[in-house]
Amino acid sequence: MSSEARTDAGSVETDRSFDPDDGLLVAEDLTKRFGGLTAVDDLSFAVREREILGFIGPNGAGKSTTFNCITGRYPPTAGEVYYRGERVTGAPAYEMVTRGLARTFQAFRPFEDRTVLENVRTALVPNELFSTSGLRGETRAEAIELCDRVGLGDALRRMPDELSHAGMLRLELGRAMATEPELLLVDEPFAGLAGSEIEQVSALFEELREAGTTLIVVDHNMRGLLRLIDRAIVISFGELIAEGTPEEIKSDPAVQEAYLGGEV
Amino acid sequence: MAGETERLSWGELLNPLTMGPIQQLGLLGVAGLFVVPVVAPPIRTIQLAGALFFATWVMSWDFVSGYTGEISFGHALFFGVGGYPSGMLNLHLGVDPWIAAPLGALTAAIAGLLIGFPSLRVKGPYFSLITLVAPLIVISVFRFSPDLTGGELGLVSVGRVEKLSAIGPIPSPGIDPFAGYYLALAIFLLSAVVFIAITRADAGVVFTAIRADEVALAATGKNPAKFKLFAFVVSALVGGFAGAMYGHSIGGFSPSELLALVVSIEVIIAAILGGMGTITGAAVGGIVFHMLRVALRNADTVSIPFTGIEVELVIPLLGVPLGEIYLLLFGLVTLGFLFFLPEGIVPRAGAEWRRRRSPEGEAVPDGGETAGVLAVHAWLDELRDLLGGDRR
Repeated sequence: MSSEARTDAGSVETDRSFDPDDGLLVAEDLTKRFGGLTAVDDLSFAVREREILGFIGPNGAGKSTTFNCITGRYPPTAGEVYYRGERVTGAPAYEMVTRGLARTFQAFRPFEDRTVLENVRTALVPNELFSTSGLRGETRAEAIELCDRVGLGDALRRMPDELSHAGMLRLELGRAMATEPELLLVDEPFAGLAGSEIEQVSALFEELREAGTTLIVVDHNMRGLLRLIDRAIVISFGELIAEGTPEEIKSDPAVQEAYLGGEV
Repeated sequence: MAGETERLSWGELLNPLTMGPIQQLGLLGVAGLFVVPVVAPPIRTIQLAGALFFATWVMSWDFVSGYTGEISFGHALFFGVGGYPSGMLNLHLGVDPWIAAPLGALTAAIAGLLIGFPSLRVKGPYFSLITLVAPLIVISVFRFSPDLTGGELGLVSVGRVEKLSAIGPIPSPGIDPFAGYYLALAIFLLSAVVFIAITRADAGVVFTAIRADEVALAATGKNPAKFKLFAFVVSALVGGFAGAMYGHSIGGFSPSELLALVVSIEVIIAAILGGMGTITGAAVGGIVFHMLRVALRNADTVSIPFTGIEVELVIPLLGVPLGEIYLLLFGLVTLGFLFFLPEGIVPRAGAEWRRRRSPEGEAVPDGGETAGVLAVHAWLDELRDLLGGDRR
């Protein structure tokens, strides 16, 4: 319906709208208010299949709130969310995962009471009351393989609080990947990572995309994101201010203003 | 790695010879329970039957609260809501106890569903308050209809509730101590098998993950609400069934036996002493607690080894007979446990055993903190959240 709005990057129309089928994930006029505070304001965007989308905005711009609304942590005040053309507005978190949308948490949320391996194994356990896959060791091999993939092969028996910051991120990723997502939402993965770690994690994301996964990478700036993402959406104070390729975003005056000529 | 990840068959899992020494010890204990009535005097047999019913209730509490961390302060509700309808069906409508008891269990399961629902919306400590109030409401309602319920005094004040009848050569469990004991043992073992099977299967992993982090659990595609309600329904069903069978065999139907706050508290204390979040700890804790309580209640002439009191079993200075203050004693012991042995007897004994066998110190899979400690921590964290603490 509004394909020109998305291709014509840099000049974002305020009243653009999307069809539910315009992408793998479509948010339409998404709004979230907490009391008098409008954290997300009439936000619309679409995520295309197999892209790596950067979702960028200064701290407090409403990035996490947007994705908490989409992933079922809490329902939006207004607006709609579509996944694969189906309306999923306000669907509970576990249902979004079942549909294929997994997420990581910016403030890591491992199960503190169990090892790295058991954390991933817990994610592999099916959403069924009567299931014995774990008892007979069926999920164990799969969990070990996932830990290897995210680079935690040497830390299987560690407790989460013994992991480094990068290790915790890897655990978040491993646990999310265990749900076999089509769309993986990664919340602020690069904050607090060293340069080499950023490269390793970026390589993992590219590997996932090669395997057919769509990714949304949330970050508060574009550092480390430039080479990774295909496209970016920038929000500020809950509103969309720019959309386009990384180069287009970098030269966008609205973006520069939002960051006060800062770290873009 | 291949050797580590091979699939186990059910035969391998359930073969007693290949089990760990602790599991073997447990099976030996179960075997011991079968022999007890043969060697013990009938009065002990009856007391032990009571202990088995009580242990079943403790396990039913541990199944929900020890595993999911949704701490129930009023689990006696389920024992009463299982027991009373069964007794009343028999007393007022003449339904046979063998049929009335399963119906009572179903009533309890419905109560489990009703109590489980608030746990989906209300956080830890607030939910605990709901469970605390619920049985008080039921007791108050009972007081308003003494013709039906007998009020404070129980069904015995309305009329005679039938005991479970004899089946063929097996005498009535309400009359014959042997029959009563083996009925209690059958219910205890059946409950233990149900609870252990569920908590050792994948559902147990999900239960403990609810306790650890419900939001993170939902982010792995599990519906926490479904698992919580399931835990409550199964717990109430088993606890309620045990309540009904208790009333129709060795016990009665009165608030002090099935509904009172003190019953709920005793169940929690026994679970803490035995070890929360283990089922086996709850079973051991329940049996030991009940037998100690019986011993203390009857302790007017007998000597109690660890208190050093020999003949006069009256608390010095206070002049109170020991039998009257057993709950105070247990309360003090529980306080001591919470400070010095919060994980409970059974998990500590297991950890000691493993430590002695491999003194070089293998990594403890649970980070040194056991289920009970974690459940209490999770509950306190939620309390801190509610009161505006600094977590998150």
